[in-house]
Amino acid sequence: MISFPKYLSQTQPLRVCLVGLGNAGVNLADRMTMSGGSGFETVAINSDQHSLATSVSPVKVSLGPLATRGLGAGGDPEIGMDAARESLREIEEALAAPDIVFLCAGLGGGTGSGAGGLVAEVAKQSGALLIAAVTTPFSFEGRRRNLQAEAALQEIRAHADAVIHFENDRMAELSAPKSGVTETFSACDELLCGCLSAITRLLSAPGPLGIGLPDLLSVLNTGTGRCLFGTGAATGDNRAHEALERALKSPLLDRGHLLDEAASLLVHLSGPPSLSFSEVSAIMQEIGRQGSEGTMLHLGVSTTPDKNAPVLVTILAKTEGTTISHEIPSVRPQRSQEPARHVPARLVSPEPEPILDLETEKEEEPAPEPPPPPAPPRQPKPERATATHSAKSHPSTKPPQEKIKQETLQFEPIARGRFEKIEPTIVEGEDLDVPTFLRLKKP
Amino acid sequence: MARKEIQVGLEIGTTKVCAVVAECQENGGIRILGVGETPSRGVRKGEIVDFENASNCVRDALSDAEEKSDVEIESVWLAVTGSHIRSFNNRGSANIPEESSEITEEEIQDVEFKAKEISLPKENAILHSIIQHYYVDGQEGVLNPVGMLGSRLEADFHIIHGVTNRIQNSIRCVKECHIEVEDVVVSSLASAQVVLGENQKESGALVIDIGGGVTDYIVYLDGAVRHSGVLAVGGDHITNDISIGLRIPITRAEKLKTEEGSAELGKSLPGEKIVLKNDTGFSGKEVEREMLNMIMHARLEELFVLLKKRLSGEVSEHLIGAGVMLTGGCSQIRGIRGIAESVFGMPVHLTRAQAVSGPTSAYENPQFSTCIGLAKYAQAVRSEMPESSFLKGFLGNFFKKISPFSSRR
Repeated sequence: MISFPKYLSQTQPLRVCLVGLGNAGVNLADRMTMSGGSGFETVAINSDQHSLATSVSPVKVSLGPLATRGLGAGGDPEIGMDAARESLREIEEALAAPDIVFLCAGLGGGTGSGAGGLVAEVAKQSGALLIAAVTTPFSFEGRRRNLQAEAALQEIRAHADAVIHFENDRMAELSAPKSGVTETFSACDELLCGCLSAITRLLSAPGPLGIGLPDLLSVLNTGTGRCLFGTGAATGDNRAHEALERALKSPLLDRGHLLDEAASLLVHLSGPPSLSFSEVSAIMQEIGRQGSEGTMLHLGVSTTPDKNAPVLVTILAKTEGTTISHEIPSVRPQRSQEPARHVPARLVSPEPEPILDLETEKEEEPAPEPPPPPAPPRQPKPERATATHSAKSHPSTKPPQEKIKQETLQFEPIARGRFEKIEPTIVEGEDLDVPTFLRLKKP
Repeated sequence: MARKEIQVGLEIGTTKVCAVVAECQENGGIRILGVGETPSRGVRKGEIVDFENASNCVRDALSDAEEKSDVEIESVWLAVTGSHIRSFNNRGSANIPEESSEITEEEIQDVEFKAKEISLPKENAILHSIIQHYYVDGQEGVLNPVGMLGSRLEADFHIIHGVTNRIQNSIRCVKECHIEVEDVVVSSLASAQVVLGENQKESGALVIDIGGGVTDYIVYLDGAVRHSGVLAVGGDHITNDISIGLRIPITRAEKLKTEEGSAELGKSLPGEKIVLKNDTGFSGKEVEREMLNMIMHARLEELFVLLKKRLSGEVSEHLIGAGVMLTGGCSQIRGIRGIAESVFGMPVHLTRAQAVSGPTSAYENPQFSTCIGLAKYAQAVRSEMPESSFLKGFLGNFFKKISPFSSRR
């Protein structure tokens, strides 16, 4: 498809362009801008003048001033298409030189469905990487709209490098059934917005384990199935666990159940410099448990200099679905990414490693029950664990102070509880009075 | 027996002491008249650790049973269990004197006696020797050789033995209450009497009775006991695991196990919490459901894997046609069947006392399987082997026991 696309050859920061197409797309783009997202520029493309007028995007393209007279496509993709053809030149101008284009559109209506294919084509021709983030209508919006959305989705798929596809029906689960309409819609938008900003963040964030475009593409191109996405942030003692819990709560993940179906899974963790290795491994193990064995895991870890930043877990996955032969753009030229891409696999597979780590931690600290005292300097833990892996996975900026992490389970060295004083049950050299789950965790 | 006989089964369990008073019926069934029950104290893993307390519990349970059944209890059949109980199969043989060449009851006793001539640790005594099969001149599968002609009689016996003193402790505990002990019966054998039907014994079945302190298991093949044993892991272990894992008091853990716990993984929503209300001495807590289930799952899975391992050397699995019968209090744990099925790879049934009439609440509860089984066992011994009391006196061995079923068919 692309032999050496310019987004791969560049050394300066990527130019990311967020294109909002149609009413839904423009709304989303505005929300992205207003939520303080940075690192991208927005372009609003719509046939509806009113929507454009209120948009905060710096670049606005009005589609088909003649075909629609600036009144919108009125839900007819034909009109949307005509309008887009009429304003083809303007679109081309607006999408002149970005490296990555995020095309946001709500499919099923006039402009998004009608012009989607064309805009995608233009964006693609400009040589950019095209990631489409689209929503399909609620089922109650009728079969006709759903068919229109389906057709438009096919068209966009033909051009886009990756499609993030969300069903509105599923997103509506975000809010309580009784909550207001505005609330529901804004929750949907917020989720999409979160997804997009997470993607830009994970592509740009510096860290010991980077996630590159190839990872992202390989995840998004796995199949035509549903896109699964969840993000969660948390601070405090149990931040790793809570952040993951929140991420899994996303309705798009069906509370974690859908991870099982994911063919490939991208996990990005970002956090303050104090983000510890054991936290990362705890999160990854939990995710690994949810997913199936054959799932390809892509892991990215990045740290922000901000000490108070929350731990942020982002999960992006694609279910199998019916696969269309979507050639993954060649990742060969990107040598710098190669080692980083391999580290995650190694980091995730040897599961017993981190546990061994926790064990030693216990021995050193027999009673870590009370809330951890304000950070006694404890170096050895991450040091030891990372030493067994490649030096690449080791954060160069070593956190000077390590907080003792409060685990869910903390035990005395030998816990026999009520069987303390009676004859032990020893079978095959194992003391069966010690809880099974404790013994199993031993390497 | 013309007169309707009353049999009492007593089990000094880890969780509860219970006594079942049952009436033997002519058709071979039994009718439960009353069940006395009291929470157990001073028993751990099926064995008495606090004599005083345990004895009081026995007294309470027996008087409760007397009250409910309106029967004065004079003697009981006592179930014993504990990790000290072991079993093995042994073959005995005897030559038939040439002049007669007809096999008589005497030869059969001789064979059994020979089969029991084995080197046990000196503190151990044989509890049961159960006939599996006879061989007459090498001919296999003879069920009752009395009256047959032959020159050599051999027999396979399943022998269950245990530490004498520990068994004596249980007996003494009952005798403290001035109640006689008719005989002691290994729990697994008792449970099997009511859990399995004749055809299930024939087609082969594994009975697993997971109680509070121990798990008793017994395998029947071709109508005979092939293997049996005790694993000192039970419901208490699950409770203890929960208590340690979730850092809650034992009593709370027990409640949580029975009310909320499940051994099925992945059935709870991620992050689903169970709120424990505060109580005296306990300040309330939220626990993760998945964590609870994981703890229970791990323990039960391990238990089944251990049992499977123990059986693998003794019994070939494909011979067990009727599958696994789960009984005992722990068989009520949600999702236990799935684990057992995945470990054993054969059909698993949750069972309780069958072919019994009386108060439904008693026999429908798998907790009472052993106790009801004792009564059934007693009935079988009494009705099918009226001379057993004579035998007992003759050999002067309290623990001497002949299987009530296999030898007489």
